[in-house]
Amino acid sequence: MSAKNKKQVEVQPLAPEWKFFILLAAFFALMTGLYAYWSWLYFGSVEPIGTTALTLLVGLCVLSGGYLFKLSREIEVRPEDDPHAEQHVAAGEYGHFSPWSWWPLICGVAVALIFLGPALMQWWIAGIGVVVGVIGVAGHVLEYNRGPHAH
Amino acid sequence: MTRGVLRTGHNGLVSSTSPALRPHVTVHRPDLTKVGVIVWLSSELMFFAGLFAIYFTHRSVAGPEVWTESSGLLNIPFSLGNTVILVSSSVTCQLGVRAAERFQSVRTGSLLNLAGWGMREWFALTYLLGSIFIAGQVFEYAELAHEGLTFTNSTYGSVFYLATGFHGLHVLGGLIAFLFVLVRSFTAYRFGHREATQAVVVSYYWHFVDAVWILLFGVIYFLR
Repeated sequence: MSAKNKKQVEVQPLAPEWKFFILLAAFFALMTGLYAYWSWLYFGSVEPIGTTALTLLVGLCVLSGGYLFKLSREIEVRPEDDPHAEQHVAAGEYGHFSPWSWWPLICGVAVALIFLGPALMQWWIAGIGVVVGVIGVAGHVLEYNRGPHAH
Repeated sequence: MTRGVLRTGHNGLVSSTSPALRPHVTVHRPDLTKVGVIVWLSSELMFFAGLFAIYFTHRSVAGPEVWTESSGLLNIPFSLGNTVILVSSSVTCQLGVRAAERFQSVRTGSLLNLAGWGMREWFALTYLLGSIFIAGQVFEYAELAHEGLTFTNSTYGSVFYLATGFHGLHVLGGLIAFLFVLVRSFTAYRFGHREATQAVVVSYYWHFVDAVWILLFGVIYFLR
């Protein structure tokens, strides 16, 4: 009953993922043109805020979709791409995930202090926040390079 | 490969199956760190969309007199030089990534033999070029402030410093990220996939910041 015994369906890796983003990009590109043209008809000049935001929204979709498209040419077919795949095929290593960590909390406290300073017009609080931030980010980034995790 | 059957401790029975049922030991997947960074960068693009929108709005509202008067203060040749430095730092960054991808952290030959450079040398050079860019921007700000363009005394100044300043903060963040990549390469006993991935994602960010600067530079200094 393993997947390889079945007739292989023609599948492309990551195809729904990149097509989703590229379709959105095409849609927003169309809307950007329409928006610019419509505002020009209505106000006599192209409305800048929406046109800029929509143009870069196209960029958002193209960046994600383009990267996924590039990946789809580089990786092999995953079990997720095969509609007839079975769950056990996807077993194995998924990557490195931290089970828990205190460091994000310390980074959060640092960001809170950095923004509390300007809010209260007491900039020295932001200074303390920066120091806590350096400690927090360094701890977070180097967490799996130190002590028992050194590799 | 009997490890999957024998290991019955922490989640052992759940995450592993017997080898006969598993055609591949591991599935070749997209690197989650890289995909995550790209998704985050595309959201960063929307942050800069806000800044561009502020800029274009101000340009259409303030009127041409205010605009030509203030943007005439900009020192275009100086900024062009600064831009060339930032763009070349992207090139050195990419050469560092090439070294990281062949898991070479440190140079093989002498310091003058560029072909033997490892990731550390290229990233250190990138760091240097990035800092020159920041220094240049600080110098430019000082000159503009001297000529009477400040954040508070003109709307053009607010928009200009907001857009280029936020970009400068991103460059500064990138420099800090380069430091962490270097520190991590020094703390790791062996330069492996994890270290290479970190170098690659920082380079994604650096290229992104560079591309945003080219857009900003084109809009602020040439399109005006």
